[in-house]
Amino acid sequence: MDDGGPPLTRRELVAGAGITGASSLAGCTERLWSQAENNGPKQVSLSIKTVPADDDVVAAKILSQLRENFRAAGIDATHEPVAEADLYRDVLLQENYDVFVLRHSGLDEYDAVRGLLHSRFVSERGWQNPFNYSDVTADEHLETQRRTDESKRTETLRELFEYLETTAPYTVVAYPYQFGGSRRSLDVSRPPRRLVDYVDIMSREGNDWVDDRPLEVGVYGEGLTQRLNPIVVDRNRIEGLLELLYDPLVRRLDDEIVPWLADSIDWDETERLEAEVRLRDGLLWHDGTDLDAEDVAFTIEFLTDTSQGEVDSGVPAPRYRGRVTLVDDVTVVDTRTVRFSFGDTVRPVATRVFTVPVLPEHVWDDRSTVVADRRTEALVTDNEGPIGSGLFSFEESTADTEIVLDSFDDHVFRRTTADRPDLFENFSQFDGIRFQIAPNPGAMIETLVDGEIDVTVGDVPTDQADTIRAASDVSAITGRTDAFYMIGYNVQHPQLSNPHFRRILSRLIDREHTVTEFFDGMAEPATTYSSLFGFPDEDLEYEESPSTVVFPGTDGELSIPRVRSLFADVGYRYENDQLLE
Amino acid sequence: MALIGVVLELALVVTTMLVTATLVIVGPRRLVAALREFRWRMEACALPLVALAVVLFVRWSTRDVFQRLERRVLGTNITPYLFDLERTVFGTNPVAVLQSFQAEPLTSFFVFSYIYGYAFLLLFPLIAYFALDEMNSLSTLVLAFTANYAIGLVCYVLFIAYGPRNLDPLLFDGLLYESFPQARLLTNQVNQSTNVFPSLHTSLSMTVFFVAWLTREKYPLWVPIAGFFAISVALSTMYLGIHWFSDVVAGTALALISVYIGHNYTVEEILASVRAFLVTPFETGGKLDR
Repeated sequence: MDDGGPPLTRRELVAGAGITGASSLAGCTERLWSQAENNGPKQVSLSIKTVPADDDVVAAKILSQLRENFRAAGIDATHEPVAEADLYRDVLLQENYDVFVLRHSGLDEYDAVRGLLHSRFVSERGWQNPFNYSDVTADEHLETQRRTDESKRTETLRELFEYLETTAPYTVVAYPYQFGGSRRSLDVSRPPRRLVDYVDIMSREGNDWVDDRPLEVGVYGEGLTQRLNPIVVDRNRIEGLLELLYDPLVRRLDDEIVPWLADSIDWDETERLEAEVRLRDGLLWHDGTDLDAEDVAFTIEFLTDTSQGEVDSGVPAPRYRGRVTLVDDVTVVDTRTVRFSFGDTVRPVATRVFTVPVLPEHVWDDRSTVVADRRTEALVTDNEGPIGSGLFSFEESTADTEIVLDSFDDHVFRRTTADRPDLFENFSQFDGIRFQIAPNPGAMIETLVDGEIDVTVGDVPTDQADTIRAASDVSAITGRTDAFYMIGYNVQHPQLSNPHFRRILSRLIDREHTVTEFFDGMAEPATTYSSLFGFPDEDLEYEESPSTVVFPGTDGELSIPRVRSLFADVGYRYENDQLLE
Repeated sequence: MALIGVVLELALVVTTMLVTATLVIVGPRRLVAALREFRWRMEACALPLVALAVVLFVRWSTRDVFQRLERRVLGTNITPYLFDLERTVFGTNPVAVLQSFQAEPLTSFFVFSYIYGYAFLLLFPLIAYFALDEMNSLSTLVLAFTANYAIGLVCYVLFIAYGPRNLDPLLFDGLLYESFPQARLLTNQVNQSTNVFPSLHTSLSMTVFFVAWLTREKYPLWVPIAGFFAISVALSTMYLGIHWFSDVVAGTALALISVYIGHNYTVEEILASVRAFLVTPFETGGKLDR
């Protein structure tokens, strides 16, 4: 022990200084306290997240416009760029956002909104209700539409979209056309995006000069080779790549259902909806193992609970979740037959479940180990060297520069004897596919102009259009997709929980102006009730047009008095040009 | 491979610049003499060179780990703060102001500065100081480079920040990759788009300039040349839409700190103080036991 007077320690010195300081400011502190206790209305503040311009220049432009419009409306809006994969984590897994702007790759069927919005999915991950939206009326419509047949269903859907327009959990800005380039000598009708587009290019007779070399495809982006896991959502990926590797039971081609692994589907609608799926003969996985009914049943069960019973409430795969919930039960009848029972779902909706990729049981069965809270091995694995049953097998990948796919010669559709869809007539003039990954669109276009690639995939920004048009051996190609740019709201944010507030925000982007300015006219603005929620077609007729598409201003320029009166009408106040909570 | 083409072109241009500058500023005689006695020179500055190599190796070999640490664990996205700070202070962002002077020759000049000028600026003093009779200047420079990288690396793990071109393509132009998209192949090897705060381009260039000033008696001609290139590089990072004004300010501050460290410490001293720092707690522990 020390004896004698202890020297003044640093802590004591700081404390002393603190006391002296505090007492000398005593007069001020009263004001400080009263200010701290002042719970008066503050300015509404929102953070908007989107990807950096490198990942998607149009999304960044939409956000820029939105940020300025929010600020003009008196909202304290902050702009946060987040890399694509990280944004998916923030939005889809952690729900850590206020407002996001994202490009969605498109919805397959009207029933897809059930997964997006039904309150039963609030606690689930992935595109399962990332908005935390929960609304009894919407739930009822979402339930009814999957139970009622054609004419009644159209009616329900129309009501659903009209109702959603008034509550605006998310909103669609525009549907971009696809734009890209291809080698002039190659016969390509549109930028490839889905498996059928690749099959189309690879079986055109005009392309038989290529003589068994791989189709050279240009893509751009970061981290595209890092993870080829088909059931996760927090990853960058080459669009359509997983379709080349993994086959489903059926594919939807231009609104037509084409049997793929399935040979036939027998529906039984006498009581509850049931379907007996018969698989094609001689199906194989890329590693040579037989693909049978067990694999199909396993896939559905595994997507429902990747922990296979380890965790009580289950750990569902974040992808394909909405579709899997359509199935009540799945049973293996014999090695080639599986029976699905659906409960009270109607056929067009039930068919959605047959479009999930079938996974090999002998690979994924071991991935049910729980590695963390609500996470299993299956959800964290990189799935290196993916084994599927698709037309192409994985050959190799080099970090961020290329992915090579081989032709899978044992695929049934590669046999001319097989009863296969017409589009396989001359399949294939090429031997495999090589994806060459460029760091940005400009560098990708240069590889096209230099003749290193045959065709581009992914969205080429329209500002690159001139380079493509000017090059001599290159043609510009365009196509349509169901992809759309959306703005999503996190309903847990105090202001965003107010549907009136969300509806006004949804109007703060001039959709027409966005299409002319940011897409160079190469997009369709969302103008109808259903197109505001991801369905561009006009199957559903409406008597009037939605108010969400009416921008309070002209030519992208917001009219401040108009927007203020919109907020005032729903009970908001302004002070010093600030919109108050 | 396209990357190789870009690298070869870079090597060709920079080598030409280095040879010319060496002949003019260092002089052939001094260089030949230095090469003849390269052994003791290497020995004299071996330690700082090893330190630099270690830092560079760590940076290169742990890219994935650092990226994950940055984006998933430690990193705070400060992009909104940088953007709003400059908006509050300046009204119109300095980057936008610089870009308003956009013209083809100016863009070419800044692209040249950003890629070739920068590489030249970093490499030439290594040759020049190696040709001196003492290795003090070379040690100072190498240690300052090391400090730049080490501190920069820490900042990059702590802060996620995107540059102007990535935040807002309506307000800012991504001039570098618009006029020279292949450059991304090169910059991707060295850096990620989230590493903009502080600007290492600025800090390393400014470091070279500050050290040039410290050694102005040896190479008086090098001071204005280094100054011209360093300021051009700093301006180019903003003009090309890669960095914010804040990054450049922070980069300059980092350069000052690094040169201070390089000038006043040696690797031995730093190692000794780190050792002392690590050992102290054990000693105190021992005392308590008694």
